[in-house]
Amino acid sequence: MTAKTKDDEVVYNDQRIYMPFPGRMGKGKEMGRGPYEKSGLLRETSLVPGKTTHETFEITFPFEDQEKDGATRRELLQDELVVAVTLWYVPFGEFDGNEVAFFEEEKVIDLKSEWIWR
Amino acid sequence: MQISRSQLKRVRKPSDSMTMSMHRFVYVYRLCFTQPLILTKGGTMKKAFTAGFAALAFIALMAFNAHSAGGPKQEPLPKATTIAELAERYDSERCADCHEDIYDEWENSLHARSILGTPRTAPTIITAIEKGLKLFPYSGVKSDEDVTVEHLMMCAKCHLPQLDEATDDVAREIVATIKGWQQAYRDEDWDTVEDLEETIESLNIGCMVCHQKVALIHKWADGYPQHDTVYGSMEGEHEDEEAVNMAEAPALNESIFCGQCHGLGPNMELDHPSQCATIYGSYLFSYVAHGGSESCQECHMEKSELGHDMQSYRDDTMIEMALDVKVEGRSMFWRKNKADGVLPIGIIDVSMYNKAGHVIPDG
Repeated sequence: MTAKTKDDEVVYNDQRIYMPFPGRMGKGKEMGRGPYEKSGLLRETSLVPGKTTHETFEITFPFEDQEKDGATRRELLQDELVVAVTLWYVPFGEFDGNEVAFFEEEKVIDLKSEWIWR
Repeated sequence: MQISRSQLKRVRKPSDSMTMSMHRFVYVYRLCFTQPLILTKGGTMKKAFTAGFAALAFIALMAFNAHSAGGPKQEPLPKATTIAELAERYDSERCADCHEDIYDEWENSLHARSILGTPRTAPTIITAIEKGLKLFPYSGVKSDEDVTVEHLMMCAKCHLPQLDEATDDVAREIVATIKGWQQAYRDEDWDTVEDLEETIESLNIGCMVCHQKVALIHKWADGYPQHDTVYGSMEGEHEDEEAVNMAEAPALNESIFCGQCHGLGPNMELDHPSQCATIYGSYLFSYVAHGGSESCQECHMEKSELGHDMQSYRDDTMIEMALDVKVEGRSMFWRKNKADGVLPIGIIDVSMYNKAGHVIPDG
């Protein structure tokens, strides 16, 4: 999930990973990679069938505390953010050209209302 | 008079002659025993029940026997000694004359390139040899010349199950072909890439893998697949020089059929259990366990309308069928605490509902 200003400056970027964590040779705490190593599951965070997985992201709008007439005022530097949410299927665990976008959506959020808590 | 628990157990226990039909038997039992208090109250009812039950069980047994399409275990065919020979034995093109649409669907699926993959599988086989077999102290593999069918079955159990009908020379030929293909790629020798890719693609999960080789799962009950028979949903004669008969494969439409390859987890029957997929495990223990009732085939073949063009995460239809994702955004001034004061924040709520019959992703 990425939030950008109107000027294309990234102000927030975060991700969640959903995947099985297969054990290496079925022992210990190390994850295995490749079918010749993978054995069992150490952990499973994949999206579960029949269930809804919720995620919440909190993005702080860019702001600045400004001194004026002996008082501090917190001013918004940007009152609008463009947020892009993409759910990628990443078969190799890397963005190497094999990734597939399962879902993409862009939202614009704003704080154009008057900020009364100054 | 109520049926006691011990009586129930006696009734439910199938006799030896019915063991093979146990699942149907239990189903019959459930149909009959919705009102146990009434069923054993009078002698007439009891006799009527016994007769009715026996009739139903007989019908169930007969229905089961009608599925016994296999036969005794046959002598294996002579081992294929080259890739070409093995590919010829399982060549799906011979089915295309009569089943053109299905062939075209299959040709677009990954089953048609189960060794090559996307092409991800072939390089992974080489990695399994280089980073696995050659480094494992007891695998017996120090060089490509040591690779046998048994070694490759770590991958081929699912990617090329018919490899067990080939000699070790074929295993080594597969390794050499994939490595040659990789080298040609590095050398940008595209003619060789194309030639070798064609050879690798000739090894696949074709028609006769699913419709003969792995068509019958419970071989002691349903019999072993016969060399002269193609298995599907019909019985009778079949217009083909080799597979001259058609017979029913009782589990072909069931999820367990796909589960033969699409993974419970580690393949424990191997000396070195490999693990590609755990998707059938998640189907059983997550999807079904939470009330899911659709089969793999219902979603991947019927509802998707893809038929034998079975697809997964790279296909738009399957992606559409996999998840419902909703995004909501809002913003507010958050009075956090004295130290941080009031923060202008945006909140993005994402919900993802997995409507597939398995975890996403699998691995």
